[in-house]
Amino acid sequence: MAELFRALLNVIAVVAIPLVLVIFLGWGIVRRVKVYEVFVEGAKEGFATAIRIIPYLVAMLVAIGIFRASGALDLLTSLVSPVTSALGMPPETLPMALMRPLSGSGSLGIMTELMKVHGPDSLIGVMASTMYGSSETTFYVLAVYFGAVGIKNTRHALPVGIIADIAGMLAAVWIVNFLFR
Amino acid sequence: MLNYIWISLVALGILAALGGDLRDELTDPYRNGLSLDATLESSESSIPLRSAQNGFLVLSSAQYAAFYGLPSPGTAIRQPVNIQRSASGATTLLLLIDESSPLRWREMARASAEKGRLAGTLSSAPVQTEGSSAPVRVSFEPVHFVRLKAVTAAAVDYASTAVSISLGLIGVMALWLGVMSVAEAAGILGIITRVLRPLTRLLFPEIPADHPAVGAMIMNIGANMLGLSNAATPLGIKAMEELNKLNPRLGTATNAMVTFLAINTGGLILIPATAIAVRAAAGSANPGIIIGTSIAGAGCATVAGVLASKLLQRLRPYRMPSEDRHG
Repeated sequence: MAELFRALLNVIAVVAIPLVLVIFLGWGIVRRVKVYEVFVEGAKEGFATAIRIIPYLVAMLVAIGIFRASGALDLLTSLVSPVTSALGMPPETLPMALMRPLSGSGSLGIMTELMKVHGPDSLIGVMASTMYGSSETTFYVLAVYFGAVGIKNTRHALPVGIIADIAGMLAAVWIVNFLFR
Repeated sequence: MLNYIWISLVALGILAALGGDLRDELTDPYRNGLSLDATLESSESSIPLRSAQNGFLVLSSAQYAAFYGLPSPGTAIRQPVNIQRSASGATTLLLLIDESSPLRWREMARASAEKGRLAGTLSSAPVQTEGSSAPVRVSFEPVHFVRLKAVTAAAVDYASTAVSISLGLIGVMALWLGVMSVAEAAGILGIITRVLRPLTRLLFPEIPADHPAVGAMIMNIGANMLGLSNAATPLGIKAMEELNKLNPRLGTATNAMVTFLAINTGGLILIPATAIAVRAAAGSANPGIIIGTSIAGAGCATVAGVLASKLLQRLRPYRMPSEDRHG
């Protein structure tokens, strides 16, 4: 059943974009839209939007880069680990949980390393990969999406993102402990 | 909030780097200025012969462990080196550091003048011995402020990474913005919007029910769930631009934007393809075992995010500036 679900989703993921292109553009022709002209007119915005993101992304990624290179993660890990260990999170996976909202490549590296050391099917390996799948790179998403529309006052967006990340990590810990311990 | 987190990342990073480097100055983990006993092997002929040749620096794991005060790496070390003799008779070793090199040397190479290279000098010229190996005493170039140097490099590297990510978006941005214009003109976004109206009215009560922002947000969430991140980002940006058209205060996030980003950062995805690929590469017996657990985790994150956005938007410090006038 799970295999069938996976196979089905894989097929959908492969055909989704070609299908969307055909249906959208084809529907446009049926509705007598000047598809080429309208497409080009819309696509014109792509350059300006991408350029607008640059200062936001530079600010965000430089701060994250400094944090990653400094070894501050180890410091933060030793500070937080008494709490998370009490919640059932193996201390080895804590850097993963802390890095996940900050950096996609950083958390990918930590996940790969944990699997190399502990094995992909160990409790730590399953938990690390579940954590990776349980959240997005919050800081990157905020920088790109708010950057694209020039939002500087983000109001409650960051606390909301962090609450979502904490909830995702705790849920990952709980469900993996429940199913695989 | 973002201001504080941002400055915390920078300040915590720099302070941690400074602290770590000062500790290194006191404990000297790199053994600056001390000589390491090892054996030099030439791959070509007897030692020393020509002005430049290749060879190996060989030492037992016990020698390495004792010198650096580290746990033994288990296997003997055979490090490729480039041997250079100057006219004055001094011999320099250039260690070509790669993934298989011992950990401490990799750390030192990262801070050395030339990236990926670690230079050492021989305290005495190796005497000619039988065959092509000779005992030597090596002292490596002194290593200081590893972390602060890494922080500097990271700041510069990540600044250019940010630009290349943004520039890399131009093509897909243009493609999806073009497709979305056609979809809008053909009325497809309207159809999608109408079908999902009960759900979107609950999540985004401020948005007029037939606004194009709704269609773009739905397309973005759909692309995210299928793991089509190339399409998801431009669609999400398009959605943000549409939401911004309803924004009474440009430059300030609206409630709908924050709820939309809460759904995005929850990261709900039906097949966590990256994690599965890494598991398969690591030799997992069942790489897909995390599909269910990931959906559960991301589902909790998304629900928590949406609820938090709805609750926090009412709190005084986070209220929309224009709302304050109404109390």
